[in-house]
Amino acid sequence: MSQEDSHEWELSKENVQPLRQGRVMSSLHEALSQQDSSSHTAVQLKKQEFEAEIRFYSGDDPLDVWERYIRWTEQAFPGGGKDGNLAAVLERAVQALHGHQQYYKDPRYLNLWLKFGDCCNEPLDLYSYLHSQEIGTTLALLYITWAEALEARGSFRKADVIFQEGLQRKAEPLDKLQAHHKQFQARVSRQTLLALEESPDGDNIGLLEIAEPQRSSLADLKGRGKKKVKAPISRVGDAVKVMNPNRSCQPQASLQLPNAPSFAVFDENSVSGPEIPTLTAQSWPAPPVPRAKENELSAGPWNSGRRRPRSTVSSGLEVPHPVPSFTPYVDESAQPQMMTPCKIEPSINRVLSTRKPEEREDPLQRVQHQQQDAEAKKEMVMYCKEKVYAGVDEFSFEEIRAEIYRKKARKKDEDEIQAIEQKKEEIQRKIEELEKKLKKKEDNKQQQPHEQVVEWKKGKKNVQLLTKEKFVMKSAGFHCLFCFFQDELNGIERLSEDAIVTGSYKNKTLCANPEDTCDFNRAAHLASTPFHGVVAQRVPAPAFSQSELKEDSPESKSAALNQETPVGEEAYTEALSVKKLSPIMEASLEDTHSSGASVSGGSLSSVTQTSAIKYLQISEKLELAQSLPAEGVTDDDVAQFLWSPEKRKKLLDSLMSSLAASPDFHLEAGALPHMEVEKDIELGNETYCIKMEYWNDEEYKVFFAVPTGCIFQWDAKGFAIKVYSQPVPWDFYITLELQKRLNSDFDQSFSENCSCYLYQDGCAIVHKNTNCFTLRDILHDRKFITKEIIFLVVHDLLHVVEKLHKAEIVHGDLRPEVLFLGDRICDAFSNEEVPNALKVVDFSHSLDLRVLPRVSLPYNFPTAQTPHGQQLLAESSLPYQVDLVGIADIVHLLLFGDHIQVYQENSIWKTSQNLSKTPDSDFWSKLFERILNADGKSTVPLLRELREEISEMFDSSFKERLLLTLAAVGETFLLVNFQ
Amino acid sequence: MAAQQQLGREHQGITLRGSAELVAEFFSYGINSILYQRGIYPPETFTRVQKYGLTLLVTTDPELANYLNNVTEQMKEWLYKCIVQRLVVVISSIESSEVLERWQFDIECDKTAKDDNGPREKSQKAIQDEIRSVIRQITATVTFLPLLESACAFDLLIYTDKDLAVPAKWEESGPQFIANSEEVRLRSFTTTIHKVNTTVAYKKDSVP
Repeated sequence: MSQEDSHEWELSKENVQPLRQGRVMSSLHEALSQQDSSSHTAVQLKKQEFEAEIRFYSGDDPLDVWERYIRWTEQAFPGGGKDGNLAAVLERAVQALHGHQQYYKDPRYLNLWLKFGDCCNEPLDLYSYLHSQEIGTTLALLYITWAEALEARGSFRKADVIFQEGLQRKAEPLDKLQAHHKQFQARVSRQTLLALEESPDGDNIGLLEIAEPQRSSLADLKGRGKKKVKAPISRVGDAVKVMNPNRSCQPQASLQLPNAPSFAVFDENSVSGPEIPTLTAQSWPAPPVPRAKENELSAGPWNSGRRRPRSTVSSGLEVPHPVPSFTPYVDESAQPQMMTPCKIEPSINRVLSTRKPEEREDPLQRVQHQQQDAEAKKEMVMYCKEKVYAGVDEFSFEEIRAEIYRKKARKKDEDEIQAIEQKKEEIQRKIEELEKKLKKKEDNKQQQPHEQVVEWKKGKKNVQLLTKEKFVMKSAGFHCLFCFFQDELNGIERLSEDAIVTGSYKNKTLCANPEDTCDFNRAAHLASTPFHGVVAQRVPAPAFSQSELKEDSPESKSAALNQETPVGEEAYTEALSVKKLSPIMEASLEDTHSSGASVSGGSLSSVTQTSAIKYLQISEKLELAQSLPAEGVTDDDVAQFLWSPEKRKKLLDSLMSSLAASPDFHLEAGALPHMEVEKDIELGNETYCIKMEYWNDEEYKVFFAVPTGCIFQWDAKGFAIKVYSQPVPWDFYITLELQKRLNSDFDQSFSENCSCYLYQDGCAIVHKNTNCFTLRDILHDRKFITKEIIFLVVHDLLHVVEKLHKAEIVHGDLRPEVLFLGDRICDAFSNEEVPNALKVVDFSHSLDLRVLPRVSLPYNFPTAQTPHGQQLLAESSLPYQVDLVGIADIVHLLLFGDHIQVYQENSIWKTSQNLSKTPDSDFWSKLFERILNADGKSTVPLLRELREEISEMFDSSFKERLLLTLAAVGETFLLVNFQ
Repeated sequence: MAAQQQLGREHQGITLRGSAELVAEFFSYGINSILYQRGIYPPETFTRVQKYGLTLLVTTDPELANYLNNVTEQMKEWLYKCIVQRLVVVISSIESSEVLERWQFDIECDKTAKDDNGPREKSQKAIQDEIRSVIRQITATVTFLPLLESACAFDLLIYTDKDLAVPAKWEESGPQFIANSEEVRLRSFTTTIHKVNTTVAYKKDSVP
């Protein structure tokens, strides 16, 4: 922040009204910086919000809204005055809350009145009104403020009376009142003493009469008058002001006073008694008598003077005024509009004769009038006047209507959500009931004598029961369960799947959560027509499954079981496992689109699954795929095989010679060593100590390790070791290819020191010089994610992907986890020459389009199976687009902390999140727009353009700020991890 | 000749002692300004003086003036030794002894100046210009500081290096922070030997 910015307040100190409670620096700063710019949109919006809130407030504390509105106005309009309209807001508040008895003892309400009093010309009236209405009479603040106002006018005695009144009433907080009273007394006595010192001879001057009238400063002192040359008398000061209340009691009465000297010296002591009695039991007082004005001739001996022609100009009233002997003081710069000279014959129309400028000039008077008008009102308003004029601004009917509509819409939404919630509960209940029923049935069955079928059957039933139970409960995520079944018992899970497909559980919702439509979509695939035909083609007898499914007739059930009994347990499982298909895989034969999803989705829950079985399944699947009457052969096949280790192995076999030529390639005899966290492993000649696991998949795991013997530090670098359960060094191949194709562009964004250890049953790839944090670690804590970090990360992300695409490689699985943090973030003090914030070493799902150019189906990439990926990627999309979707998701995660959600509007994809509130929203919305709608276009220039746009934002101050953030991130990383 | 002399004076550097004096003087005027601005002492007990090209108000109360002089002298000595880190003016309510305002002057001493005796390159005028802008800001803080509604007293806290013998009439004290405060950073100035950062903290309004 530049010096100019942060010290703006200093430059406008004259334009900032001091507040009793002080100002909030940030809002003051905001207000001042916005002064220049013509658009106060934010302020206007906030104001509008308050105005709307006032109109549509439905709680029981309307004062609260007003209070916040006033506080906000004070802070947001430091200049006070017209633009903030504080006086108007206060006035409205006072009017709106008039007669709310419940607030009369509320300090906030009193505060409101007192603030309003500050805007009035004559706050004393207001105080006495408050007193008479018993508003805030239990609060010390009223008396303190009142007495202060009186003191400022020099009416010490009256101020003291007010204090006494407050003390008598035991106004709260009493100690504060007492303290103020004491201070007041101290001040008075000190001033008195001073006065005594200054006028030692003034022994007859009353103690309280120091307040002598004084000449107004800068007044014209030229002598006037003919007989006696006198300077014009325009007294100001305490004494003059104090006269006012006196006059108010007897307006106009003094006109009848007998002749008196041209000016009587005001004697305060002659004012009879304390003022308070006159205030009691006033209803809303009569329209206040116009208060003393400079040019107003107050009650005095008007009839004694001679008439002078020039003084008649001022008021063309019918009764000629007696003219005083003195000249009323006319300010040189007196505004002529104050008293428009009457040009018309006064007798014609009095209404038009003169404008009375004072009329209702004082907000207090306006409020009073308004109240009176309201009382006297006879007409009925036939529109919602109170809504139109409730706040300071006038609302149009449309605005009101819109607000009402919005409110209704909001309510409807809420109701809907509630209804859904209820439904959900109901369904849950039903599910539970059904489960109970099922259990009962099962129990019944078990009780039936079937001696032949022994332990095994029982066990099987239980498992079956279990599977069903699980299935019903988790029907939304059913694909996850299949893997579970595979482990437990093969073959039987088909029933559950059939249940969905054939619809015997029709009335169960597939999606426990109505928001989560992606599962539903998936299920829709299964339920779509081509699938039903296939049920019959299944290897095990369909009758069996049907009967199991219906699970109503014990006979058929037992028959089915009897059929099976001859098979030994082991043999049975084996036999089935050979024939067995993961239902999802079967499905995938019909619908390749969902196959990838199922496999990888399933892996989530099947940590324990052995690769051997997997292997078996896949080969089985391949066979089947080939044996089936294929439709859309080639492309689908390619797509399917891509992620199969065989295909890759085949591909790599042909390239093995070139791989083996690399010095970092080590062919090891024997089996892949078992790896676990906190274990040492030996790879080649090195021994590593594994410190943690980044993530794992069913086929591969990624660890962080340090050389054995080294002390492990979180900020130090180590090795990322990827262990793949297949002897297919795909990552190594991709890394080598990248190195070859990118040449000089191959930098720290990729693994520069990568070695591969190929075993008989797997391979391990070791990436040197890797930090132990991934982007996910940053996302954990939103406070790290400053604007600068986001830009830096996105910039590098775009850059990395640009390079990959340039090398004709699609990553396919861009997630925060796979993006290791580069030195730029982890080591804030590393020099600028190491510009990489991210490092990509994992290419498990990558695709080399130079080798496999025919692939155009992006569906099998993990990114494509996310909800947004499914939406965004069409069958015809280029594979490159998969990475754009990945980028969009990561950017969204950085900006908002959750996954991207998209919708289509006018055939343009957009994010559901409102970007306008984020800083730099222009850029982000542009980025999303382009990335989400890049269909068919080449990705490399797009990425480059966006990246260059970001790098334009990197100026020197940006770097500084970035460095600060990075330092904070580094520190916090350490803290977090050591905890 | 005269012009050359003038030039020479302008190019004059600043020594440690000079710097200590300038900074101590700034504190004297700064504290006086605060006491006047914030109404800690009655305004009639202040008189106007010209300093830094500004009209500043300085107390005429003999006791207060004496006290401030003592502090200034003490500060001068400590500044010369480069062992003072911070001067704080704490304004607290007399009734409730609650801390309402806290003016903090952080002092960064360049301790190497103790060893090399050569003057540093910075003209007095440049330093005084910087000081002036700080004092101006102190004056301008009325724009945002809350009204001190009750009678207040002030207290001076001086943070020094450890192990310093506490002079008579001084006592050790806590930092007297304000709970829930808003802090505003003012300008800073430097003599190249001492750098003074000014911050004022005040009670936040209870409702945002």
